[in-house]
Order: sequence, then C-alpha cells, then structure tokens
Amino acid sequence: MREMADPQGASPMETRSDVPGRREARPDATAVGVGGRIRRGTKSDPVVLAAEHVSKSFAGVTALRDVDFDLRRGEVHALMGENGAGKSTLMKILAGVHTRYEGVIQLEGHPASFGGVRDAEGAGVAIIHQELNLVPELSVADNIFLGREPLIAGTLIDGRRIVRAAELLLRRLGVAIDPRSRIAELRIGEQQLVEIAKALSLDARILIMDEPTSALSSSECETLFKIVWQLADDGVAIIYTSHRIEEVLELADRVTVLRDGRRVLTAPIGELSRGAIISAMVGREMAANHRGTAAKNGAVILTVRDLTLDTLSSRGWRRALHGVNFQLQQGEILGIGGLLGSGRTEILESIFGVARGWRGGEIAIDGCVVDIESSADACRLGVALVTEDRKERGLHLAESICNNVALPSIGAMSRFGLRAFARESALADDVVRRLSVRCAGIYQVVSTLSGGNQQKIVIGKWLATEPRILLLDEPTRGIDVGAKQEIYELIFKLAEQGLGIVVVTSEMPELLLLSDQVLVMCEGHQTGLLQRGIATQETVMRLAAPGMATHSWDTPS
Amino acid sequence: MKAFRALSRTKLYWGLLIICLIGALASPHSSSGMNIFLSYGNLTDVLRQVSITGLVATGMTMVILLGGIDLSVGSVMGFSTIICAMLLTKSGWTAASIMGVPAATAVSFFAVAFLARFVFSGLARGRDDSAGRRREIALGPWRSMRIPALLGFVAAAAVAWFTVSQVPTKFGVLGVLLVTPCVALLLGSLNGLLIVAGRLQPFIATLAMMVSALGIGRLTAGQDHAVVAVYTGTNATEAFEVLRSMLWGVVPMPSVFFLAAIVLFGAILRFTTFGRYAYAIGGNVEAAKLSGIKVAQVQFTAYLLSGLLAGIAGVLFVAQYRQGKPDAGAGLELDAIAAVVIGGTSLMGGRGGLSGTFVGVLIFGLLSDILQLQNIDSNVQLVMKGLIIVCTVLVQEQNLGQLVARWRFRSSPEAGAEVRSVEPNRPLSAPRAQFAREDLDEAS
Repeated sequence: MREMADPQGASPMETRSDVPGRREARPDATAVGVGGRIRRGTKSDPVVLAAEHVSKSFAGVTALRDVDFDLRRGEVHALMGENGAGKSTLMKILAGVHTRYEGVIQLEGHPASFGGVRDAEGAGVAIIHQELNLVPELSVADNIFLGREPLIAGTLIDGRRIVRAAELLLRRLGVAIDPRSRIAELRIGEQQLVEIAKALSLDARILIMDEPTSALSSSECETLFKIVWQLADDGVAIIYTSHRIEEVLELADRVTVLRDGRRVLTAPIGELSRGAIISAMVGREMAANHRGTAAKNGAVILTVRDLTLDTLSSRGWRRALHGVNFQLQQGEILGIGGLLGSGRTEILESIFGVARGWRGGEIAIDGCVVDIESSADACRLGVALVTEDRKERGLHLAESICNNVALPSIGAMSRFGLRAFARESALADDVVRRLSVRCAGIYQVVSTLSGGNQQKIVIGKWLATEPRILLLDEPTRGIDVGAKQEIYELIFKLAEQGLGIVVVTSEMPELLLLSDQVLVMCEGHQTGLLQRGIATQETVMRLAAPGMATHSWDTPS
Repeated sequence: MKAFRALSRTKLYWGLLIICLIGALASPHSSSGMNIFLSYGNLTDVLRQVSITGLVATGMTMVILLGGIDLSVGSVMGFSTIICAMLLTKSGWTAASIMGVPAATAVSFFAVAFLARFVFSGLARGRDDSAGRRREIALGPWRSMRIPALLGFVAAAAVAWFTVSQVPTKFGVLGVLLVTPCVALLLGSLNGLLIVAGRLQPFIATLAMMVSALGIGRLTAGQDHAVVAVYTGTNATEAFEVLRSMLWGVVPMPSVFFLAAIVLFGAILRFTTFGRYAYAIGGNVEAAKLSGIKVAQVQFTAYLLSGLLAGIAGVLFVAQYRQGKPDAGAGLELDAIAAVVIGGTSLMGGRGGLSGTFVGVLIFGLLSDILQLQNIDSNVQLVMKGLIIVCTVLVQEQNLGQLVARWRFRSSPEAGAEVRSVEPNRPLSAPRAQFAREDLDEAS
C-alpha cells in the first residue's frame, strides 16, 4: 500500500513504521535481513555504476555541474530534485541517451562510454522513460521483443516462441497480463509492467525508472513496488525517480538529491525524514500549508443531481458514471478522490460539456438548470476546466505565454472580430504577475517554461476568463515540491475570493489538505461524500477500494 | 549571431531575391539591348500567370493552417470555369443558370444575414463587453437572428431579381462575378460539412469532392462540348475583356484579385479572432476545443473560403484563356499545396502564413518564366519545379543555425574522441537478473 504521510511532515520513524509488508521482508535498515539475505545497498555491496565529476550543459545552460553518483548492486537508489534540477539529464547520461558530457562513467569499476542507448542496453543498463515507448497496436509479446524477434530459419518471426517467452517473463513478475493482448487494451499501470518486462528481457542489471508511478493508482503502485523489491533482491540495481516523497521513503534504500545541477545530498533512507528531503530539494524549509477559515458563504453555486454518463467503447455502451450528486458553495473546495479510471475525470468533463457519450441528470448553476453542450457554453457560464494533461490538452506549447493566456478570452475581448492586442498583453501581464510565473516575458514560448510554471499558465488562462466555478484535474501532477505549494496557496486564495472549486487528485495528502468536502468515486459509483474532519486517509481509501460499490456512505451535509 | 538569426528568419525572401538575380543575369537581351527579364511587360506577365494558382493557394493556406487539406480546389475551379463560360455564352435556362441563380440567392441570404448579425453583436458588445456577453445568452438564437434574417431576405430577393433578369440575355461581367463564386462556395461548404459534421478526414472528403466536381463539370458542360469557348464580342459580352486588361494600365486585372486576396486574408489571419483560432486549432485541436473555441465553425469557414477563392480563380481562368473546361484545374491543387509548403506553412498546421505563400507563388512563377526565357523544354521545367520544392522545404524545415552548428561540431578535433564503445570483455561481477536470455531458450 502506498504510504500516505501527513503533509505537515511526520518524523521519519513514524512514517516508516506504518508501512505493512515491507518491514517483514526487510526488518531494519541496519541489521542483516531475514533468511540470511544481506540488506541491500550496504557499503559491502560492489558499486556497479558510478558517475564521477559529471557535468553537462545544453547550449550554454548548465544542467549538471560536477556530480558524483554511485549505484550499488541490489539497491534501490532514489534520485530526487525539483524539475530542472538535473535528474533526467543524469539518468539519460547513465543510460546512454546523452553521449556528450564531461566526467567519467564507471561501469563495474571500468570506465565506460556509451555510444548510444543500444550500447547501454548491451552493457545491461536499461531505462524506462516516463512516457512509455510501446507500440499501442502491437501485442504485449511483440512489444517486449520488438527489434529482437527470434526468427525461424532467419526470416520468419517465431510468434509462438515470443508469446511463450513473454508469458514466462510476465509470470515471473507475478502479473496476470495476457501476452497476446494489444497494448492499447491495457491500463497505463499494466503498460508500465510491460516496459519492465521488456527491460528484463534485455538482461538488464541496472534499471533506470523515470517517474514510473506518476500515472498509477495506489494498488498499481503497490504491485510495482513489490516487483521493484523483488528485482533488487535478485541483485538488479535500480535508479528510481519520483516526485512523491512518501513513495521514496517507502521504497528506496538510498536517496540522492540534486539541486540546480549539483548534488546536495546522498544518504541512506534511514537517516532522512520527509522534511530533510524537501529542504534539501528546495534549499529551504517549506512552510506547511494551512487552509484558512473556510470562506464559504452558503450560496450554492453548483448543484449536480444524478449525473450519469454512458460512453461508447469498442465493447459497446458502458456506464461510466452511475448517479453523482453534490452541491458546491461559493468559496468551497470539493475534492474528488478515487482510483485512476474510477470516473473522476468524467465528472469534470461532464460538467464542462466535453465528455464523450450521453450525459444524464441535471447540472444547475446558481440554481438554474443549464444545458452545457460544449466548452464554449461552459466558458460563457463561467465554468473553467484545467485538464490533467497540460501538454496535450491544456497548452499550445509552441506559442507564447500571451497567446496561450488570452486564447479563451479573446472572443470576449474582441469587437467586430478584431483582436484587441493591447488588452491581450495586459491580460497576460496580469496573469504572470498575479500567479508569479517565472518567465523572461509574456512573449516567451510556453514549451521553454518549467512544469510548474506551465501549470500556472493553464490555470491563469482560465482565471483570465473570470470563472466562478473552477474544475481542476490533477493540478500538481509532475510538478516539483516548491511549485506545488504555490499552487495550493493559489487554490486557497481563489476559494477565499469566492470561487467554487472542484479538485481531482490522486495524492491523498493533497486531497485531505485541500478539500472542504471529499467525494469518493469507485468504478463509476459515488461511494462517499465526506465533510472535512470526517475524511481521513483510512476512510477515503476504504471507500475508494473496489468491492465497496454496492453501498454508499454519506455524511449528512 | 544576431545577424545570422535575422538572416535565417528571412531566408525565404533572400531566396526570392536570389531567383530574381539569377533571372536578371541569365536573361536574354532584346535587340535594343534591354534586359527582357526585368522588363515591365515580363514582370507583369509573371504576376498575371501566378494569379490563378495564387488565389487558390491563398485559400489552401488557411485550410492547411488548420491542419487540413483541400484537394478539391482544382476540380472546383474547373467546374467554375464551365459555369462562368456557359453563363457568358448561353442565354435562357441552361444547366449553369439553373444551378447558379438559386446558389447565388441562397449564398447572398446567408452572407448578408451573417454579416448583419456580426455587426449587431459587435455594436452591442461595444457598449459594455460583459453585458454583451450576457445578452448573447439571454436572447435565444431566433430572436437575435430576426433582423439579420430580414436583411438577408432583402438581399436574397435583390440578387434573385438581378440574376433572373440576366438569364434571358446572356450574363454580364457583374453577374458572372457574383454567381460563379457562389456556386464554388457551396461546393466548398459541402466539403466543410462533410469534415465537420460527418467527421470525415479532410483528405478523404475533399478527394471525393475532387472526383465528383470533375464529373459535375462534365455533366454541366454536356457530353459533346467538353470545352466551352468564349469569344468576347462574338458570343459573349465585350465587357468581359476587362478581366484580362490592365487596371489603369499598371497592374494586370487578375493580379489585382490575387493581391487583394493576399492582403485581405493576411489581415484576417493577423488581426481577427478567426485568425487566432485558426492558428490555435492547427497547433493543438484538443487544447483549442477545451479553450472554448468553436472548432467546427472555424474549420467549416476555412473550407468554404477555399471554395470561394477557387470560384473566383475560375472566372479569371475564363478571362485569361477564353474558354471553360471541366479539367481546367487539373493538377492545380498540387501546385497550390507546393506553393504553400514552399512558403513555410507546415502541413501539420498551426505554423506559417500568407506572406510566405505569396513568396512561394512568386518563386514558382519567376522560375518558370526564367526557364521559358531560356527556351528550356517544358518537361525539364517540371523536373526543376520538383527540385525547387525539395530544396526550399529542406532549407525551411531545417533550422539553418542548427545545420551550421552541426557542421562546426563535426569539424572540431575533439568530437571524434567522444564516440568510444564499452569494453567488450568487462567482468561480470554482479549476478545476472534471473530473467535472462534463457527464457527464450526455455520457451523453445
């Protein structure tokens, strides 16, 4: 189970002691393990991969500065840092993606320089990128052996052998995936496991995982962690990055923190606390967020009654939402929790008028039942949706901040269809200032901003339309700790200004921190609507777990 | 470096300049020692020749900016030449006038109603923009359409009266210029409808239109007259000559249409919300849709305008070549696409513009003019055209700066040392992962 730490930062020992399962297998951070197995990552284990004085710069911008890094056999070594700290650069150098750098890479004590990813794979170093590299229309087995298919008589692909080999690999990973199924049919978590199987089929002894859990639900994370531990016990050395500190505390043996391209910390996990890692990452102690007194004033701004959604998939009609009910007051934050695919995003899309399929039930804004058919209707009624996938669905990456921010508003600002350039740039200036976006100016291209600042632009472009209801889907996914805090503060501020806010999030601490009410979804059913104070990690987890869908548990509101 | 970047950004214009230089240097001289290429008559001829392709390319640019493509423009243009030629040469109710009169009536109704609605909503918004927004919601679509619809009726009645009055005699210049583009516009809007409402791929929908418009053109012309000849002064009005004359003796008339279209639509792309939406949709449809943009409306409008411009090009074709024929625009769509691409507009959409298309069209025109002045075989000209497309797009797509940087890097001495490979006989101290090659063997 993924560990859900108190956002205010619990002490490290408390944090680690709640973790079931893990401790039995590896009872103590200092002792010799059960069954004669030596704890991973001790000084006695040989270093399999090391970087010495590695520096790298891109077009004059230094990404890494004199970084030392070492990876021991059988350890899980977490690499942490804010976005832009140089994590990906270091990983890519180790995996042979970047072939030009200063410094030395030692592979098992011998200097090595990979000419490319193929070289690195040949030497037993495999990387699993955050964006998965799978061909959606091919089968699981075909993907695992893509480019290395065993052949019959040197020409024909030996399909049976591929499937059987893939089956064995997957069985050893302990996952029940049919190797004949197409990748497109799998959930994202299962696809991740296929990537791992692919890396193993390459005979990888060093596995580099770039944010493997960013798209996974809690139960999928759990499966992944078990596999990671199993691999480590088998002697595979693993480099692991994640933005989720709780996850790293649970999973890793050692942590290296990078900041601004420099290594600031390498230590065994037992010597670290959540707070220590965060302060090493951001270079300062984070002030804990506290929700101010609820600003809700009782005026109901959004009512959702018996909301249903039927979607048409290749297997016929499927009910994605089974009757969702809630009320949102001005200045209130409603959090929607649940596993991935439980229908959380569909609620937001239905309200915003962009859900694919047939919608049933009633949506009322300010007490008037409205019929929102498109995003244009939603805009006019003062509803804004900040989508989960900001790069694909939220931003025009190749365009300037000004163009992105103004896009939803230019219709309202124009007269006779003529654009009001001065008002557009004033709007962008205003958003950049209000949200303290770090940029060179409003004409900077959005793709060059960091993840957190891009997220601010997406939120900002909707704030510029002066919405009264703000729908946020995973507003802090893939952004670093410092930017997360800023986003939280912004959400609180907006609530105080009287906006009604609905937040979907996979991160439990975030859900509990932000929400006045928590709506829990499970497999398309609303399994609970909990007031602040009643909602705890345990209750939310219990309601979100599949198998509970038959009864619902509402607190009187 | 700064100068280099400026050079890289304006490389298309430099290309045009180089072609002009080559033309001037290679040009033969007339008996009086004058450079023929640089003579006024030659340059205006080039401008005249590119006008038809240019008009079509203007519409194509907007469609391509949206990430679409319009393959039907050639056939639609050919169809319009038939409509135009038949209206000019045949009196009474022919196939052309039976199609043309209702088309012009319907289009003028919608055009005027839409314009009036547009102006009214602009006026209402001018008073107070937030109130303007609320008014749009408060008034239903029917109430707010009342006055525009009325104005549309008036306009439609006027157009119907005017065109019907021209039917018994032959159509005049004004009649042709009004009716022909309207017919083409309807074909363009049918494209748009198929793509927006039918959710067809633009390539497929316009391919179907390309094939069927050619058929409709042949059917309209009748089996035995594949070509409708237009002899002004004999079987058509003398006034039609105006479309191939020089405006005030300075600019050829077709080029006036072409330049006007470039300026007008260039301004639309640059200064209106429509233009911004076009770029936004081409750049990222999903994000545009989620930003509250009415994507379908913008796409529909672009295909409609592409048809309209093909129609105007059809009229100019008849004036230029004194005939209408169904296959007048064979290959025109590809010329137009080539000009757009040379002009730096990305086929993926979202990047480019009309100034580039203008230059692209000119490069094509000047090139064939130079080759003609050199008396080079027309088949060689085709090969040269292909080469030019490849070369310009190579230069356009590759960032020149990157090319130079790569070249500099390759020639630097330390670059070679970077590519070392891993020692093949490294010791295997770590145990291999359990899932190894033997899985494959085991499975077999």
